[in-house]
Amino acid sequence: MTPVIALARFRLTGYVASHRALQPLIALLALLAVLYAGAIPAGQEIGATADSAAMLVPVLAWAARGLLDTEPDEQRSVALSALGPRELVSGLLAAFASLLVLAAIAETALLFRLVGSPTLTVLLTGVWLHLLSATAGLTLGALTSRPILPSPAVSTIALILGYLSMLVLSMAGARWLTVPVMAWMRDAHHDALLSGLPLLTVQSLLWPAIGLAAYTWLRRTRP
Amino acid sequence: MRIASLSFRYGRHDPWILSDAGLVLDAGDVVEVTGPNGTGKSTLLRLVAGLLRPVRGSIEERPRVVGYAPERFPSDQPFTVASYLRHMAAVRRVSTESIGRWSERLGMDHLLGQRLPDLSKGSAHKVGLAQALLAEPGLLVLDEPFAGLDAATRAELPRIIGEVGARGGIVVVSDHQGDLRAFPGLRRCEVRDGAVRELEPVEEAGETALTVLEVAVAASRASDLVDRLRAEGCAVNITGHTTGHITGHTTGHTAGRTTARVAGEAAE
Repeated sequence: MTPVIALARFRLTGYVASHRALQPLIALLALLAVLYAGAIPAGQEIGATADSAAMLVPVLAWAARGLLDTEPDEQRSVALSALGPRELVSGLLAAFASLLVLAAIAETALLFRLVGSPTLTVLLTGVWLHLLSATAGLTLGALTSRPILPSPAVSTIALILGYLSMLVLSMAGARWLTVPVMAWMRDAHHDALLSGLPLLTVQSLLWPAIGLAAYTWLRRTRP
Repeated sequence: MRIASLSFRYGRHDPWILSDAGLVLDAGDVVEVTGPNGTGKSTLLRLVAGLLRPVRGSIEERPRVVGYAPERFPSDQPFTVASYLRHMAAVRRVSTESIGRWSERLGMDHLLGQRLPDLSKGSAHKVGLAQALLAEPGLLVLDEPFAGLDAATRAELPRIIGEVGARGGIVVVSDHQGDLRAFPGLRRCEVRDGAVRELEPVEEAGETALTVLEVAVAASRASDLVDRLRAEGCAVNITGHTTGHITGHTTGHTAGRTTARVAGEAAE
């Protein structure tokens, strides 16, 4: 096992054992209960999967922030002394792994509420959109984690405003200026998602890439 | 390892903590960092360990394996001592056998099954030392390592530090208690007013005649004076607090004053 993976495993274990993992899990279950109170009619599978991915972003961001913030600051220093800059990679890896678990729960709940049988296309599109959602959540969570924003109040507000800005900007049609979560839903409900998925993927990964680069740069002076 | 023109402050609007500091550390060096509280000892240690980046200047040729024990071990973590050290051994890619070896040397065998949040301050401190020592570091940075330790471990730690130095490791220690004063070949550096100044080495015990002074000082200033005297290489024992009135004699006691016995090199 590489040191990066060993540290990610340590952090995931600490996250689960500290019960902080329960908070976003409970929020996710509440969200799923609302989303899937009624069954999903045949023909609306891709629309439902896009809705799920878009609405999951703040929950996943909260989970990512929770994982990164579970560890005491001095323990992060100990990890930094052991791994150097790879400590940051390990944190992101652990956070992303935890988000994949939550996204898988959401995807499974969705599949159980479908009236018709899901096609392979629906399944793969769902997995892909939830991966995009996890990437957006990881970025938002990392940028609002304690080393970057030490105040819990400021961090929480920044996380909420970050997601709201995604909604507002993408609702206004500015696909390149944010993660276009509203475009995911709009395209999916208008049968335009699959044909435009490559471009939408690029648009959806652009800001997470910039955000994670910013996080890496900021962490140089914020151990 | 070379520290050159090192300057550091935490933010653009914050005062400089270190300014144009320089230090060269050779293989096998054991360096004690002294100085009054709040002058930047821990900051210097964190810079040396690579936890902080210099704002200006550079730190070059840092050994690859760094062990760092913080002043306060973060015991608020949901692990037992054994599972925590197993995780740290995996992160360091060292065998779990080293956990047993260091647990024994630091007198913490009996703590392995305990949960970290249940540990006393001294016991938690031992866990912090153990994780720093697991990987045979080429650079060992210990922030106040003697604080809260029991007598047996206080006696063992200088031996451990000596072994790290003997195999070519660099050891940098901040130490308020003066437990390393008798360490042979100890280099001493003082952090004061943003500068790092190398102090004269303490002569080995027994080679220098000592004079014992009795000093009375206002209780509020006692801690600062003790720090300064220790930074100067004096052994200081605080002997008591008195509430008498000043008499004008050197042996007099004054209201709210602390008396201290100071042993220093005899004046010619």
